[in-house]
Amino acid sequence: MSNGFTELLVYLDGSEDSMSAAMAAIVLAKQLESHLTAIYVVNTKALQDLVKARIFLDVEQQEYQRDIEGDAVRYLSHVKKLGKKKGVAVECVKSEGAVHQVVRDYISANSIDMLVIGGLSGIHSRRDELLSETDRMMRNATIPVFVVRDNDDIWDMYESLPDTEREDTYDID
Amino acid sequence: MTLTDILDRDLIKVPLEGRSKHEIIEELVDLLSQKKALTNREEILSAVLERESLGSTGLADGIAIPHAKTAAVDRVYLVVGLADTSVDFDAQDGEGSLYFFLVLAPEHEASAHIEILSSIAKTTASASFKRLLRLAKTSEDVYSLFID
Repeated sequence: MSNGFTELLVYLDGSEDSMSAAMAAIVLAKQLESHLTAIYVVNTKALQDLVKARIFLDVEQQEYQRDIEGDAVRYLSHVKKLGKKKGVAVECVKSEGAVHQVVRDYISANSIDMLVIGGLSGIHSRRDELLSETDRMMRNATIPVFVVRDNDDIWDMYESLPDTEREDTYDID
Repeated sequence: MTLTDILDRDLIKVPLEGRSKHEIIEELVDLLSQKKALTNREEILSAVLERESLGSTGLADGIAIPHAKTAAVDRVYLVVGLADTSVDFDAQDGEGSLYFFLVLAPEHEASAHIEILSSIAKTTASASFKRLLRLAKTSEDVYSLFID
């Protein structure tokens, strides 16, 4: 039996929704005194598929991969700073592969007991191929998932936490 | 993000009037510029043509997915067009192209750009989808193929 939500994982993809999710996760980690990890997955599976389908040239694959890896570092660093400001040490993980599978494997390997994600896509289609990565993540999750809608309340909740910088930091893996 | 998040009725044209690769790309870019009141039409067109000059985005079975990342747009856009006569788009299978999906994204939205291209690729790979696409006669028909 788990001792509550002690290991939280927030998924970042650079969207505003995922940044709201990060702020909500920081609030939760502070209130629950949980350990918080932020993960950004470079979607190398999609990049490879696009090359295989000849939609992308090799040079595009490399260029986009560099761009996304740059985004990953930037967003993870930003979330680490947001956490530090509120006294929450955020462990940052940059990974690559098929996004929802990497997240699922990380959850399993690290005994994560709650996944925090940004807003899901609206229901527009019954086609499985039109599911977003966050949709897939939620549907495949074996642990509770906290879905955060992007709204001002999250920002207010985050801002209402007292600012308390803490010294311990984690490197981006 | 997936393509249904950005699919916009105003950005679908059936049939396209262009009869060459350049005309089709111009027509799709013009539709976007006009409907979304974008003032940098030339910059967008140059980005798409520059990418196309590196290698054709004409795939097999009549599908073409021209795309570019450009600072001329502030978010990811998808423009869809169907031609009633096949157009030489230097496609992989040597056949003419009929179904065009133009994707444009700003430089800072690489992840979203990839997800959109990937969902178009997966959807258009389906034989049943291609059959339905062939039957579409209006922009509303095309919209309904994705949004149901």
